[in-house]
Amino acid sequence: MISPETLLIALIALPFVGSCLAALFRANARNAEAYLAGVVALTALVIVIATYPRVVGGGVIQYKAAWVRELGLEFSLRMDGLAWVLAALIASIGFLVVLYARYYMPPADPKPRFFSFLLAFMGAMLGIALSGNLIQLVFFWELTSLFSFLLIGYWHQTAQARDGARMALIMTSAGGLCLFVGILILGHIVGSYDLDRVLASGAAIRSHSLYLPALILVLIGALTKSAQFPFHFWLPHAMAAPTPVSAYLHSATMVKAGVFLLVRLWPALGGTNEWLWLVASAGLVTFILGAFIAVFQQDLKGLLAYSTISHLGLITLLIGLDRPLGQVAAIFHIVNHATFKASLFMAAGIIDHEAGTRDIRRLSGLWRFMPITASLAMVAAAAMAGVPLLNGFLSKEMFFAETIEVHDNSLVDQALPYIVTVASMFTVAYSLRFIRDVFFGPPPQALPRTPREPPFFMRFPAEILVLTCFVVGVLPALTIGPLLETAVRAVLGPNVPEYSLRLWHGFTPAFLMSLVAIFGGVAVYFMLRPYLLVNDGPPLLRRIRGQRIFDLALVTVSWRLARRLESLLGTRRLQPQLQLLVCAALLAGLVPVYTRGVGSAVLTRTTFDFVFGIVWAVGIACTLAAAYQAKFHRLAALILLGGAGIVTCISFIWLSAPDLALTQLVVETVTTVLLLLGLRWLPKRVRESGSASAAPMVTRWYRLRDFGIAFAAGSGLAALSYAIMTRPQPHNIAGYFVENAYAQGGGTNVVNVILVDFRAFDTFGEITVLGIVALTVYALLRRFRPAAESIPMPDQQRSQDVHDEAHPNRRKGDTVKGAMATPALMITILFPFIGTAAVFLLLRGHDLPGGGFVAGVTMAVAFILLYMARGTLWVEARLRILPVRWMGAGLLLTVSTGAAAWLFDRPFLTSSFSYLDVPLIGPVPLASAALFDVGVFALVVGATVLMLIAIAHQSVRSHRAPGRREPLPPVAPPTEVK
Amino acid sequence: MIRLGDHLMIVPVVLPLFVGAVMLVLGGERSRNVNAALNVATTLALVAVGIALVREADASPTGVSGVYRLGGWPAPFAIVLVVDRLAALMVLLTSIVAVAAVVFSVVRWHRVGIFFHPLFQFLLMGINGAFLTGDLFNLFVFFEVLLAASYGLALHGSGSARIMAGMHYIVINLAASLLFLIGVSLIYGVCGTLNMADLAARIPSIHAENRALAEAGAGILSIAFLVKAGMWPLCFWLPATYAAAPPPVSAIFAILTKVGACIVLRLWLLLFGDAAGASAQFGGEWLLLGGMATVAFGAIGSLASQDMARLAAFSVLVSSGTVLAAIGMGQVGVTGAALFYLISSTLGLAAFFLLVELVERGREPGADVLAVTRELYGEEHELDESEEVGIAIPATMGMLGLTFIACALVISGLPPLSGFIAKFALLTSALNPQGVQGGTVSAAAWVFAVILILSGLAALIAMTRAGIRVFWASPDRAVPRVRLLEMAPVAILLLLCAMQTIQAGPILRFMQATAQSLHAPHDYIRAVLGPVVEGPNGATGGT
Amino acid sequence: METILALGIGVLAGSGVWLILRPRTFQVIVGLSLLSYAVNLFILAMGRLGSEVAPLLADRAAGDPAQYADPLPQALVLTAIVISFATTALFLVVLLASRGLTGTDHVDGREREP
Repeated sequence: MISPETLLIALIALPFVGSCLAALFRANARNAEAYLAGVVALTALVIVIATYPRVVGGGVIQYKAAWVRELGLEFSLRMDGLAWVLAALIASIGFLVVLYARYYMPPADPKPRFFSFLLAFMGAMLGIALSGNLIQLVFFWELTSLFSFLLIGYWHQTAQARDGARMALIMTSAGGLCLFVGILILGHIVGSYDLDRVLASGAAIRSHSLYLPALILVLIGALTKSAQFPFHFWLPHAMAAPTPVSAYLHSATMVKAGVFLLVRLWPALGGTNEWLWLVASAGLVTFILGAFIAVFQQDLKGLLAYSTISHLGLITLLIGLDRPLGQVAAIFHIVNHATFKASLFMAAGIIDHEAGTRDIRRLSGLWRFMPITASLAMVAAAAMAGVPLLNGFLSKEMFFAETIEVHDNSLVDQALPYIVTVASMFTVAYSLRFIRDVFFGPPPQALPRTPREPPFFMRFPAEILVLTCFVVGVLPALTIGPLLETAVRAVLGPNVPEYSLRLWHGFTPAFLMSLVAIFGGVAVYFMLRPYLLVNDGPPLLRRIRGQRIFDLALVTVSWRLARRLESLLGTRRLQPQLQLLVCAALLAGLVPVYTRGVGSAVLTRTTFDFVFGIVWAVGIACTLAAAYQAKFHRLAALILLGGAGIVTCISFIWLSAPDLALTQLVVETVTTVLLLLGLRWLPKRVRESGSASAAPMVTRWYRLRDFGIAFAAGSGLAALSYAIMTRPQPHNIAGYFVENAYAQGGGTNVVNVILVDFRAFDTFGEITVLGIVALTVYALLRRFRPAAESIPMPDQQRSQDVHDEAHPNRRKGDTVKGAMATPALMITILFPFIGTAAVFLLLRGHDLPGGGFVAGVTMAVAFILLYMARGTLWVEARLRILPVRWMGAGLLLTVSTGAAAWLFDRPFLTSSFSYLDVPLIGPVPLASAALFDVGVFALVVGATVLMLIAIAHQSVRSHRAPGRREPLPPVAPPTEVK
Repeated sequence: MIRLGDHLMIVPVVLPLFVGAVMLVLGGERSRNVNAALNVATTLALVAVGIALVREADASPTGVSGVYRLGGWPAPFAIVLVVDRLAALMVLLTSIVAVAAVVFSVVRWHRVGIFFHPLFQFLLMGINGAFLTGDLFNLFVFFEVLLAASYGLALHGSGSARIMAGMHYIVINLAASLLFLIGVSLIYGVCGTLNMADLAARIPSIHAENRALAEAGAGILSIAFLVKAGMWPLCFWLPATYAAAPPPVSAIFAILTKVGACIVLRLWLLLFGDAAGASAQFGGEWLLLGGMATVAFGAIGSLASQDMARLAAFSVLVSSGTVLAAIGMGQVGVTGAALFYLISSTLGLAAFFLLVELVERGREPGADVLAVTRELYGEEHELDESEEVGIAIPATMGMLGLTFIACALVISGLPPLSGFIAKFALLTSALNPQGVQGGTVSAAAWVFAVILILSGLAALIAMTRAGIRVFWASPDRAVPRVRLLEMAPVAILLLLCAMQTIQAGPILRFMQATAQSLHAPHDYIRAVLGPVVEGPNGATGGT
Repeated sequence: METILALGIGVLAGSGVWLILRPRTFQVIVGLSLLSYAVNLFILAMGRLGSEVAPLLADRAAGDPAQYADPLPQALVLTAIVISFATTALFLVVLLASRGLTGTDHVDGREREP
């Protein structure tokens, strides 16, 4: 015998497994998927039945497994009476629907997808029924929304299927999110998400200050799911789904999830005025509205959809009336409604399937063609109307009886019996309409197909359900009685109120109300008939279209508003972003200073130096001039920039940082060369006359604002640096370096020792950056495509060529050659010397200013000078440089130097050194650090040369192919020049 | 002889560099397929290393499994790498996403430009270094490495869209890097050290008149990080850049924002945790507000975006904003949940970036505009019986659709994938500061919860719109040609999300432990400095 | 001294910021260069000033920190210089490329419509 816990796991797992399997079938698998689905559903049903003995009389089967214990979320399956009833509904009707769908769905359909979704939905639904943990319940809740979305949108080539699906998804899962928060609040109040704990601590919840928000959120969740007013409008549009889906989701199961949850949580949340008013009023309004609108529907499924809404409203009202008996009636009606409504949907599907339309105005007199189906539909409709001898009558009567009772004795409460009676008249009216307009009257004209009885198995599910309606209606106590008892006991516990399931309670007020409703209903029907034959939709509410409102709201909020807000809160332009960045930085710097104050700085100033002042006067002048000139006189700006750079260099020397000065100098050189090479490709920009004065107001304002920002930033940084410089140095880690640079680093140039030894890891990254940038630059320039006007040769060069052509004894380009002859010669001679200098810098770096980087750049300068003097082609014809290889080799060398330490099982980059005396150069440190430096050297040479050459090549290219519009062919990379 | 175990923690930095160098020596592009093979192999190896590191870190009692003193120099002076749970975790995550991106790229994308593979390796080096280093300036260097590589990759394949986006990206990040330098040097000028642990030890005992300057430095520094993390209003460069970059690159970029967030998380808790004396919790509320603003902006943007790539980019904003806000809450539980969320959302987003390209293949542009306007004027539809026969979705589309749904679920935080668990963890730990046993709920927590839920709804709506438009509204569209090698990475990333759901318990426990040690960093400090260095009044003790 | 240097840093930074807020790519690149000068000097300043302290160890032995300039900021500046050099080069090429592809040298790739 399998333990009941295992049964539960099997029950929940089975549909999902089946779904996965079904998804694997090919689109034209002949019904295999249908049989699979049928077997799964049937097995589920058997399992449910097998568990009955354990839940009867208040028993509970529970299975718990660890999931996220810390957060009070555990995987917990819990089957009690109520869960059992819902599970039984899901499984049994699920099976019937599968059977029905097997014959309903067109053979051409890719049914595996359909059945896969259907089974997955069944699993999710069972999950809701069996969840013993509220978060887990939300989990499955959202899953049902997802799968219903997929099922409604199954015929997604039709627009209304897509829109209906989207609406259903957004409504229900938005509701689900509300439910989620509501549950979180409940958990916060109770201190646990476990269903039993929550149900047990109802008093605590009701007395808590957060009760109302929690209640409202949970209600929104439940009411959206059960299509209650004002969230009801998604259900009619969900009718775009295939009829089996409607029969399953929108009559029996998914829409029941909401009311199920309400009954489930009633012991915890119910019993307050808030509950009475919120739930009951929502239910009442929905009941009336649904019934009223349903009468005026012309589409069979539309009629059924609204009647479903109205019946769910009835159930909600019963729950909202907040009395034990109300819960009993509610559960009872959940079951009854499932049976008759499912069978009605099936009947509607059959009619649609056989007659080819669902439009009531076109259908009539179908009785002759399909007597059996007709009688089935009629019985079911009668049950819906609450005619005696059928199950609908019983729960309806309990409902009437409940409405008569006194609840809070308000005006509404006293009027309630009359209101519901009137509303029930409409219920009867639309049931009657369903029967009479479709099956009686003259034979139909011009139907797409001539209707006939469907195949037996398509009818069979409906027959079963109708039979149930009848049997339950006649012998309630024997059939439904025990089950209802079990379910009710699970909700109300031991103190179940007195209620009797008898057909005849004598001539009670409730019975009277039923009679009034029935006869009134018939009257209403005949009064409205002329109107119905012509018009579509109810007289007043016709203009109000839930879907249009929803779509409009959705588009306005989620599209138009969003667009506007995005452009309002964001920008795609660069300047505002930079302004924001600078301002943010200013703020971040100012706020602490403002709140704390910088305190009194202990002035430890060095003596004022006049020359330094002069130098900086020049520097400042250069800077400002550069800033001013940068727009129109690029070359001038570039030179001034260089001036500022030189001043920086000088102050480096001043502040006894020779290495920095050296590096800054070479970098300065190379940068300038780069920029010069780049200038050629920028558009000519001439100052239009008196632009400064003629600048429009707005431009001036921009400039003013930017100037303000710039001024603030500058003074801020100045103030910061001043503040730091004028206070005593903290005890810092630098001392260690000075002390150990020679003793352990083996160099007297502390900075260099730090770079290649103490903090060699930084250098590592730094050269990698250089390498990466070189690669990127090269990759970009391969695709470079100059702007049209900058393709032709510069004017000067052209004029020279013209001049050359003019003179017979000169060849094109001679002038240039002549002009460049002397420097070319000098540079060619100089080349080896510069190279030597570079090597020298490299070697002595450990003790004196210098080092791999400076050396590398120097070497690169040598190369670029050669390029400038002799021209690209000349150089590359003679010496073959493979920059990328240089870079790779350099990196490899550095890495392997660092990794060599592993051989001695020392940490990465551990250095060891000794000295070797070389004549002329002096003691050369044979430190591993030196090797490291060589690697740096190689990489820097490679990278710098690669960049410079890549840019230099552009001129060659664009001259080769003047005025090409389509992207130019990639330049022959220097690595491949013959 | 070498005991690899000791040097394992530097492998994530050195290995990519080495491999990258080898690729260059092989001549860059001449041997692209060799490079591709090398790249895949390396990333796989990094995954293995990452797993090993995570195991070590989790096994170690303090959560700090190792301190690697580079060059063998003592702690506060030279550079150290520190492996704790957070670092190990992020290294692992990075390498997983890297594997997916690389495998995806070898089918076609590494051919649209040159040097894809070396740049990719250098990017990994930068990211891992940034996660591992324990030195502020070294952090700067690694940031530069990863940024430089990211510039290269973002511009991979050129084209005007990429160039324009790339230019904004570069300028802004150059400015941010300068801020970084200012902040670091300011902190050095005041505190006299660059070692993070040493800083944490010194900050409590700064002189009152210097404290403001130190905080100013920290503030400016944080701006640099927040630009990378994409916090509103410093994030406008992000959507364009991520949408324009080649898909595999955007996938790995999903990590980059998290780099910023993680550094903020570590440094903020280390330097301005409860032990920071007068500076404790400095700037926390700014993180919270900024994070929430980012989430809001991201949600709005994802609603307002037409094409899927932009939608994905805005979802990146949402996710990093969520993380920032959660950090700003300054509660251990929330931090742990945030880490859980970080993992899930990063995986989901990476998968989505890859998927978008597959889906958008063979779609004519401009169809999107129509779809939206159609939705706007929601035309009347009559019952058209004729069409009511389902159409067989081709297997490819089915597969794509399934993965799309999965991505949408992860990103919008709906069940059954890890997004839901993450969101639940965030919310429940925000609403119950003292564990599930209740406690009072702060207003911040409420706002946080509301924003989180709304952003989820927004994501759902946007995703549904995009999905319906692509998969349903155009049944007769050309089915994109997709190779298995391109589908596999997406599927794997999503399967990892599913695993994260099932294994939520243990994973979350790990995250909580991580959060614990981040909030009480004394173990970290002690591990780096050794027990000897105790600041005055024993300020190193984080308790 | 401090005053002068602070002033210099301020002016460099200010003009740099002004330039990076301009719409032309060339202005931006000049601005970035100026800013990087400012930042480098700033970093150096964080080691406090000392014009008469020696940069290199006088003799091959452990030095006394008091006699020497703070070497750490110098090392940092060196790294910073290299990196800013690299990034400047990169940016230059990007702006050339954007100029080539968009036909304008505006930072947004298109002239601002008034």
